[in-house]
Amino acid sequence: MASTSGNDDDLTIPRAAINKMIKETLPNVRVANDARELVVNCCTEFIHLISSEANEICNKSDKKTISPEHVINALESLGFASYITEVKDVLQECKTVAMKRRKASSRLENLGIPEEELLRQQQELFAKARQQQAELAQQEWLQMQQAAQQAQMAAASISANQQAGSSQDEDEDDDM
Amino acid sequence: MSDNNTEKDERKKTISLPISRVRLIMKSSPDVSSINQDALFLTTKATELFVQHLARASFNNGSGRDTNTLSYTDLANTAEENDTFHFLTDILPQKILARDYLKSLEDMKEDEADL
Repeated sequence: MASTSGNDDDLTIPRAAINKMIKETLPNVRVANDARELVVNCCTEFIHLISSEANEICNKSDKKTISPEHVINALESLGFASYITEVKDVLQECKTVAMKRRKASSRLENLGIPEEELLRQQQELFAKARQQQAELAQQEWLQMQQAAQQAQMAAASISANQQAGSSQDEDEDDDM
Repeated sequence: MSDNNTEKDERKKTISLPISRVRLIMKSSPDVSSINQDALFLTTKATELFVQHLARASFNNGSGRDTNTLSYTDLANTAEENDTFHFLTDILPQKILARDYLKSLEDMKEDEADL
């Protein structure tokens, strides 16, 4: 139901929203169609009433924008003071929800870690990797050295044995 | 049981009406320039409470209690009789039967004749 008319006075709260609220307030009660239509128009009238009163209060103050204070005073002076407590509660709840939502979205973006910290962690990881590589290389070098030494020693003992062996052989011959 | 209560509380603490529409209606009021976002929240919630209040008061006040219905007349009567809702009488003329209207016209004519 797109309205092509630009007439401001045709602005109303959507019928479905009103129907739902009436249903929740008066469950199981039959409500005539013309009564529903009426409630929709009463809503608009109420909003105009509050806006005008709040606007007047705003004009009397130094402010240019209608503030929550102005609305609350308007409700009071128009005889709707009974709404004030609940209305204030909702405002508090809305603010809390909005703050939580902002925190949650920034948490998702950064995983809770600010950019400088992420950078620092990255540098740390790189340094660690370099160190590990260096240690590994050193170990390999040491192992190679050890292996080479052992090989040398082994070679040396073999030749020593051979020499010793030849003199031993002479002795053995004597015994037999 | 406690679930029902928390549900009710949660529903109380949120807004069901479309805030953008409320803003449009507010701005169509003469002279209204800018509205703080929080003030908008307050007005929207107040409007919700108003609907609930009007519906409940009209139902309790009206003759539809026995038949479990809420009629146009219930609303119109409430606006007429209740100071808080009196501002609605402009848009809530009490419907009267044509027969009654014609009778009151006749009565008026008779009065004039008497003079």
